[in-house]
Amino acid sequence: MDEFEQWKEQVVHWWNLGLEYLHQVPPTQLYAAAAVLAFTTFLLLLTVRLFKRAKSHTIVLTGLSGSGKTVLFYQLRDGSTHQGTVTSMEPNEGTFILHSETTKKGKIKPVHIVDIPGHSRLRPKLDEYLPKAAGIVFVVDALEFLPNCRAASEYLYDILTKGSVVKKKIPLLILCNKTDKVTAHSKEFIRRQIEKEIDKLRASRSAISDADIANEFTLGVAGEQFSFSQCYNEVTTAEASGLNGEISQLEQFIRKYVKP
Amino acid sequence: MLEQLLIFTRGGLILWTCKELGNALRGSPIDTLIRSCLLEERSGAASYNYDVPGAAYTLKWTFHNELGIVFVAVYQRILHLLYVEDLLAMVKREFSEIYDPKRTVYHDFDETFRQLKMEAEARAEDMKKSNPVGRTIVNGKKQGQGQKPGSEGGSKKKSEGSLKSDGGDGDNLRGHKMENGHSNDHFVVTKESKVNSNINGKENESSNVGAFDVNRLQKLKVKGGKKTDTATNTTTKASKAEPKKKMTKKNRVWDESPPETKLDFTDPVGENGESNIDVVAADQGESMMDKEEILSSESETEEDDDVGMNNKPDAKKKGWFSSMFQSIAGKANLEKSDLEPALKALKDRLMTKNVAEEIAEKLCESVAASLEGKKLASFTRISSTVHAAMEEALVRILTPKRSIDILRDVHVAKEQRKPYVVVFVGVNGVGKSTNLAKVAYWLQQHNINVMMAACDTFRSGAVEQLRTHARRLQIPIFEKGYEKDPAIVAKEAIQEASRNGSDVVLVDTAGRMQDNEPLMRALSKLIYLNNPDLVLFVGEALVGNDAVDQLSKFNQKLADLSASANPRLIDGILLTKFDTIDDKVGAALSMVYISGAPVMFVGCGQSYTDLKKLNVKSIVKTLLK
Repeated sequence: MDEFEQWKEQVVHWWNLGLEYLHQVPPTQLYAAAAVLAFTTFLLLLTVRLFKRAKSHTIVLTGLSGSGKTVLFYQLRDGSTHQGTVTSMEPNEGTFILHSETTKKGKIKPVHIVDIPGHSRLRPKLDEYLPKAAGIVFVVDALEFLPNCRAASEYLYDILTKGSVVKKKIPLLILCNKTDKVTAHSKEFIRRQIEKEIDKLRASRSAISDADIANEFTLGVAGEQFSFSQCYNEVTTAEASGLNGEISQLEQFIRKYVKP
Repeated sequence: MLEQLLIFTRGGLILWTCKELGNALRGSPIDTLIRSCLLEERSGAASYNYDVPGAAYTLKWTFHNELGIVFVAVYQRILHLLYVEDLLAMVKREFSEIYDPKRTVYHDFDETFRQLKMEAEARAEDMKKSNPVGRTIVNGKKQGQGQKPGSEGGSKKKSEGSLKSDGGDGDNLRGHKMENGHSNDHFVVTKESKVNSNINGKENESSNVGAFDVNRLQKLKVKGGKKTDTATNTTTKASKAEPKKKMTKKNRVWDESPPETKLDFTDPVGENGESNIDVVAADQGESMMDKEEILSSESETEEDDDVGMNNKPDAKKKGWFSSMFQSIAGKANLEKSDLEPALKALKDRLMTKNVAEEIAEKLCESVAASLEGKKLASFTRISSTVHAAMEEALVRILTPKRSIDILRDVHVAKEQRKPYVVVFVGVNGVGKSTNLAKVAYWLQQHNINVMMAACDTFRSGAVEQLRTHARRLQIPIFEKGYEKDPAIVAKEAIQEASRNGSDVVLVDTAGRMQDNEPLMRALSKLIYLNNPDLVLFVGEALVGNDAVDQLSKFNQKLADLSASANPRLIDGILLTKFDTIDDKVGAALSMVYISGAPVMFVGCGQSYTDLKKLNVKSIVKTLLK
């Protein structure tokens, strides 16, 4: 306790010294110093923010539950699927050099990849990552496509109409996963089906505007059949097989928007 | 035997499975566990039951929150393995020592696991020998508790046609008694009781409890036999009583009144007074469903301050200096005792917002389970960490699991050229008919042909009430008067709708208390017979603890009394009288949590336009205010 008292006295002493010194300095100089200090901190914050925004290197993996996002994530990171996966409860996140590029010489810029769980209860998480995304990968299960077509299209519609996606024109890749299986649908078929489905959704969604999900923008041209070419942002399709590691098209997409 | 033991990250990557056990599991119990239990904030529960044709598993789990890994053990339900929890705890301890986030393969854990398992089994064996009765009873009890929610699906069809099987059970029991009388060997008895429980289903689960105590077993069995006897009695009574009732209902004659007066005034006679009702409601402007809500962003900042204020008393308990120090340095690991005060405050706050106590309790348990063992980040208080976790959990619960875009569903049904049928169910006086009219008005605004079906053939005046709405909105109504079977009326209404090209049929049903068996049976029949596209539960926002009872009983009765193997349950909730409750919005949470169904509409006023969608963010904000 005595020690504490001593400290206190010391601090008070210093404080008084400081105050005396301040009184000696003319006030104009003080104001100038304060202004300079404020100005530099402001500049610093601004540059940090600009810098951050300029080099976004985040790729968001999203899609319905069970479409194979986590497998793709680990394929990209480690080039293996390990011992399989179960339904994710939290996003997988990692900043790394793609596995296929680890053998390359020279300095390669790592990619920040986020795998967002597909369970509908966890979808609000998507909003955290979308504003800083350089590209979105929407994974579709090509094998079990038809039963999930409506749900997938609704989810895609929500993503495509989000303000953060439209304003920044974040490119989107529809990745048809599990194409190693014989009965899998082709990417052209899937693209057509989703376009049709979104066309119908447009009609019903423009009628209601939910209080929560607030589709801030409408898609396509009114009175015309919807196609992805009408989107504000670039929408492409590709095929992949997470289990077999055939993910070259996905890697191309990532490297197109996150330059090595 | 243990079927499988998995270790996986919360991100979903399997880190280790036991290859020795290696039995292929039927179905996908793990995924189902995650989707329907852990993600629904039910992880506070002790175990989860998974049923597939050919197998019945019980799953137990434990979290390691700091490392973000989950341990799940799967075993056959009929084997009451005593050592599973023990084993999970040991595996957790051992595995967390060798875990490394960068490593994804742990082959060397095989050997450790084998030792752990042997150890656990040996310990369980010892326990059994030293204290057989007490131990099993405890376990049995737990088992019973765990089974309640899961087994709803299992013993559905019992009540209806179980006369025969009950008889069979009786024989079975007698047989067992004899055998038990002869043999005092513990192990024989256990086996027997297992077989028994297999045959008899859940009802005799209780007999399993006392498996090692022969006397107790016998007593219980006698009781059980009696129980089934009485049950059969009541059912026969009920079935006898029912036809009689119907007879009397048809032509009840009071002594004084003339015998042949017509009770049924519902024929469309067209009373001249009523026909004069002008069609006021042709257009009352936009329904509130279509108006966007503007969230004020200011309230958010206000709230944070508020929260800070509320937290102060908690922090004070531990002394100003130490808590300050902790918040700067960050606490090592959160323990349950650290979380308790904050959780208690949170629970109280939820309860003042009219959340049912049971649900507030469960939510807090689940949040505690997700935080325990986590590191507290520096510059944060425990209470704010708990607060954030709870907020996340609430958003997760209230975010709808299925699409609530009814218009989209209606269009799909339109393409298939069949009417989209919505059945409104609920207890008395919650506003089924009123909100049915609001929904009709909203649908009409979107150029959908709506038809109403007056299937409340029970309460007098109900048909007239609906007819008035129909006239005001200029919507066709299908009615057959009173005292008809509502299921048949609904069926005819749907046929009529497909004939005249209506897109949507809104079926109004009589209000009923959740405990009223005959009425619930009628409802179940209506739903089974007409297979509607949407079963909408209408509930008041005013309701408190009763919300849990209402919804769970409605769901259960619909399941129990249905004749089909996979019965229809409640698909969505319509919350009424939302304008009367100010900030006590807890009923929304209670109802969604207990049923898993989303809130599709919110009724918030007296006029046709007062129908809204639930705003999840604002509800969560209000709940935690």
